[in-house]
Amino acid sequence: MRIVDTRGQQCPAPILATKKALKETKTGESFEVLTDNQTSFTNLRRFLKDNKTQFSVEESDGVWTLTIKKGNEGIAMTKTADYCVADIPHFSQGDFVIALSSNKMGSGDEELGDMLIINFIKAIKDLDILPGKIIFYNRGVMLGKDDSPVIGHLKEIEKMGVKLLLCATCIKFYSLEEMIHIGTLSNMYEIAQSMTSASNVVKP
Amino acid sequence: MNIDLLQMVESGGCSAKIPAKQLEEILRCLPLPDDPDILVNIETHDDAGVYRVNDELALVFTTDFFPPVCSDPYEFGQIAAANAISDVYAMGGKPVIALNIMMFPAAKLPVDAYKEILKGGVDIAFRAGVKIIGGHTIDDFPPKYGLAVVGYIHPQKIITNAGARSGDILILTKPVGTGVILAGQRLGLTSESDVSQVKAFMKLLNNSGADIMNKYDVTGATDITGFGLAGHALKMARASSVSITLNLGRLPLIGSTYALTDQGCIPGAAFRNLEYVENEAHVEDDLDYNLKMIAYDAQTSGGLLMAVSPEKADEVISELHNKGLDTSAKIGFVTEKQEKFLYLYK
Repeated sequence: MRIVDTRGQQCPAPILATKKALKETKTGESFEVLTDNQTSFTNLRRFLKDNKTQFSVEESDGVWTLTIKKGNEGIAMTKTADYCVADIPHFSQGDFVIALSSNKMGSGDEELGDMLIINFIKAIKDLDILPGKIIFYNRGVMLGKDDSPVIGHLKEIEKMGVKLLLCATCIKFYSLEEMIHIGTLSNMYEIAQSMTSASNVVKP
Repeated sequence: MNIDLLQMVESGGCSAKIPAKQLEEILRCLPLPDDPDILVNIETHDDAGVYRVNDELALVFTTDFFPPVCSDPYEFGQIAAANAISDVYAMGGKPVIALNIMMFPAAKLPVDAYKEILKGGVDIAFRAGVKIIGGHTIDDFPPKYGLAVVGYIHPQKIITNAGARSGDILILTKPVGTGVILAGQRLGLTSESDVSQVKAFMKLLNNSGADIMNKYDVTGATDITGFGLAGHALKMARASSVSITLNLGRLPLIGSTYALTDQGCIPGAAFRNLEYVENEAHVEDDLDYNLKMIAYDAQTSGGLLMAVSPEKADEVISELHNKGLDTSAKIGFVTEKQEKFLYLYK
């Protein structure tokens, strides 16, 4: 059995090592983690419990040995119904669409246009009502490139539940196929459908 | 001069705090002085004490010091000073004078490091309009530095963590992740950009946030430091007798905080804070584990968490962005007291 020896190490090193081993271990297989630090042991135990990972513990001479079995952790748990007890305002999502036809905002100085679009996309995250979709076409698709200055923000926006649609024809035209890994590639029918059925289309 | 202060410490900055639970038990044994001029004391676990001088003036009085959070002595001085002064800003006060508090291992470090730490402190104090008028040094290892700060405030305009009202929107002015990134740095897991970002945020004064709170008559706020976002939010909810709901999906993060947490880089202080908060908190069952632990991450010189009435929240956000605090975000809201003080969801 694999042994992960974290003796002499302090938090968070033992957790890092355990998590790495968990990733590398096949489901159903086990490994051991050694620690000689009370705090590290307590934190490890808590970390494993919270992640619903099976483990057993033995202690001798101030060394804790945790035998950890890799299971199917990470499977989504069911939600408790008692959560939202009160009528509380949630940050919600609307059905309006933001259409980005350029990688700059407005016409004028190029550098200013770059800066403005970055700030605009950043600000979307803080809107009280998030857009339903963001559509990227023509030079707008360049915002979705892996090295785009707003790629991090777009990923976050996508995680918040906003659908990102990128015009496939445009990506092909600018030869960006290898450089775009976010959102959904879309066709003109879907884009037209989304824009005409939206409550409102915002073009910055 | 090649000095690496980080080599001397195991947990730096506000991670070095005594666990909140333990501290509360200790403080319970102390008698609270009874004086009508004491406007804010330790009872509500606020950022600073406030003492009324007359009807127009009260003093905000606070202290904070900690072991190094970065290698460079000058930068450590800057961060420690910004962190100490922040407590005055969190109450809406104007910091005025300060004393240096220094623990320095004279036999182990060149005296240049001492000078550099103090110089960093003075430079940040100058930026905040604070005059350092004295101090005290003890020979001790590892080094520790901070300030005791006095600020002015109008006795009717004190912003406390007891001032959050049901319906308020919670706005956070700096991204979180200093504890995770500093721990990652010690283990060689961070990029240069992570480290420079985290240092820039720790040095950033909370003065603009305080100005904006005063302008919009905010009554409830706290700064986010060693007890983490969740710990300070809990203290605020308790002191205000309300419940606080935080949407961790809205939480602005510094650099690769999320990725580091996902690797398991979760500092011990986060577990301490978790233990302190969890009985009073309801955590949504399928809440992302990494985000949850980030909410417990101890912050050094963190941002202000302010409770703003909903009709003013948008204006406050855009003013904060105008002042360069462009990651300020609405991260939650205040309700009447529910079963738990704190609700975390995404």
